[in-house]
Amino acid sequence: MKKKGSYDYYLILATVGVLFVISLICVFGMFYFKAAQIQQMAPAVKAAYMNRMNTVVAPFVIMLIALLGICIPKRLLPARWLDWFAGGLLVVASGVSVVMGVLKGLLVVLFAALVLQVVVLGLAVAGSRRLHFEKTGYWVRVGSSLVHLGLVLFVLDLFFYEQQTLHLVLFWITTGATVAGMLCCFYSESVVRLIKGSRQRNADAGL
Amino acid sequence: MDSLLPMTAFTLAGRFIMHALLVFSCAAGISGVVDLFRSTPLFARRSGILPGCVAVLFVGGFLWICWFHYQIFTHISLELPAGMVDWLNRQLAAANRGQAYGLPLYDPVSPPRYCIPVWIENEKYFFWFMSFGLMAFWTHCRMENHRLRAVLRIFLGIQACILFFVADPFQNPLPKFFAEIAPWFDAGQNPMARFGLFMRLYPKMVFYYNAEYMWFHPPLLFLSYAAITMTFIASIFMLARREQSVEAMGYAYAKFGYFMLTLGMLLGYPWALKAWGPNWWWDPKICSSIMMWAIFSTYLHTRLYANKKWMWYFTSVLGILCFAAMVFTFLASFFFPGEHTFQ
Repeated sequence: MKKKGSYDYYLILATVGVLFVISLICVFGMFYFKAAQIQQMAPAVKAAYMNRMNTVVAPFVIMLIALLGICIPKRLLPARWLDWFAGGLLVVASGVSVVMGVLKGLLVVLFAALVLQVVVLGLAVAGSRRLHFEKTGYWVRVGSSLVHLGLVLFVLDLFFYEQQTLHLVLFWITTGATVAGMLCCFYSESVVRLIKGSRQRNADAGL
Repeated sequence: MDSLLPMTAFTLAGRFIMHALLVFSCAAGISGVVDLFRSTPLFARRSGILPGCVAVLFVGGFLWICWFHYQIFTHISLELPAGMVDWLNRQLAAANRGQAYGLPLYDPVSPPRYCIPVWIENEKYFFWFMSFGLMAFWTHCRMENHRLRAVLRIFLGIQACILFFVADPFQNPLPKFFAEIAPWFDAGQNPMARFGLFMRLYPKMVFYYNAEYMWFHPPLLFLSYAAITMTFIASIFMLARREQSVEAMGYAYAKFGYFMLTLGMLLGYPWALKAWGPNWWWDPKICSSIMMWAIFSTYLHTRLYANKKWMWYFTSVLGILCFAAMVFTFLASFFFPGEHTFQ
């Protein structure tokens, strides 16, 4: 168990580190945007600025997606398997990146994370006790799984921004999952009261 | 505009509300300062009366703003002469061709009207501070800690002063909006000038003033700002003393604030797609909002371990950082240019 604790700890540190760097790039972007008067430039100059910033931030977004792919299975797998899983996933994603391009490699990681998160959600809904969560409670676990599913879907959705219909459908699924997840997670006691009250009313009505 | 809308009545009654708000809030703030330095509170049983009066005044003022917006809806429309309608609709249909989000065609039976949300220009401060006022009153009734109550009253006093001296929504109502539409009501315009003005006002009406997202995106964010302020106050108290009830209060508002912030940011996204097209815009406000959301997410995750000594203090520092990020994000609209700018 000690190993899992340290594994979690380093994953959290790495995530915070990457988020910190992305935040610094955002702050730089804000000041550069103002100093270079990008707002008043021609659309082509604006587009060039956005592309340049996208290039700067891309490696860190890739790292974040890779971390997401490693973090998700920690709910499912025992600590000693996580290293093997993370290594395997990175090898497959790197292989796909070399053969088919970085975008395809990232999609592999995201789809793997999505499949695993759906499994986590399914097990949480089924009430499985084998999942590794910090908090106990059925609705808290279901809610947490939904919020993280929403996060994976949101990142995945960014890949489809040029396909307007799919992009928006995925976006609304993301929003639905996140909202339902936060309600279950933050207000689990109210959810339980609501469901018990509804059952009680049905029982009283003889349904 | 005075001939079209009851501007004088709105301003007079609104100023009365603002003066009453200032008096009650300042009294609450002064009593808060006194209580903060006393070991036992003055008028402990009646200390909730002032925040209660402030909350009632805020709600009254907000309903008054709603009434004024209803007047705008019923009295102001972009009406065009009948002879221009076919030509205008041909122009609009041509402009809409190939566009993902076009402008609705003009309907002469029901000309376009302004359905303006009640949180634009200075009104957004009123809504934001009203949300805080209601949260502060609710907390004041439920918490026993007299110093926490005192700080809540001090914040009420500060916010009412900002509202009264800097951002009064009643003194000069919706100045930008009325400056935009005033030329529409100038007499003696030739038809082409009127058509040109229509084409300038109509897209902004559709994509900004009447956008359905305006009813969700900004108010959810202002509700979250108010909740973050409550979490900030609780975090300061957590640094000073380990009191479980204060931590629970801060966490309850943090959960609510995070819910509102996440939902508000998400609901802004399809609106941004509609208005700016599909791209990552590197808009300064969006960048700082994402930073704030990341800090807030970290706060909620570290709170899971808040029962450990150092995590208690780390969590409270993060709560304070969330507030600093919120202030930075809000002020970014004034300092940095971009799609969200207030400049």
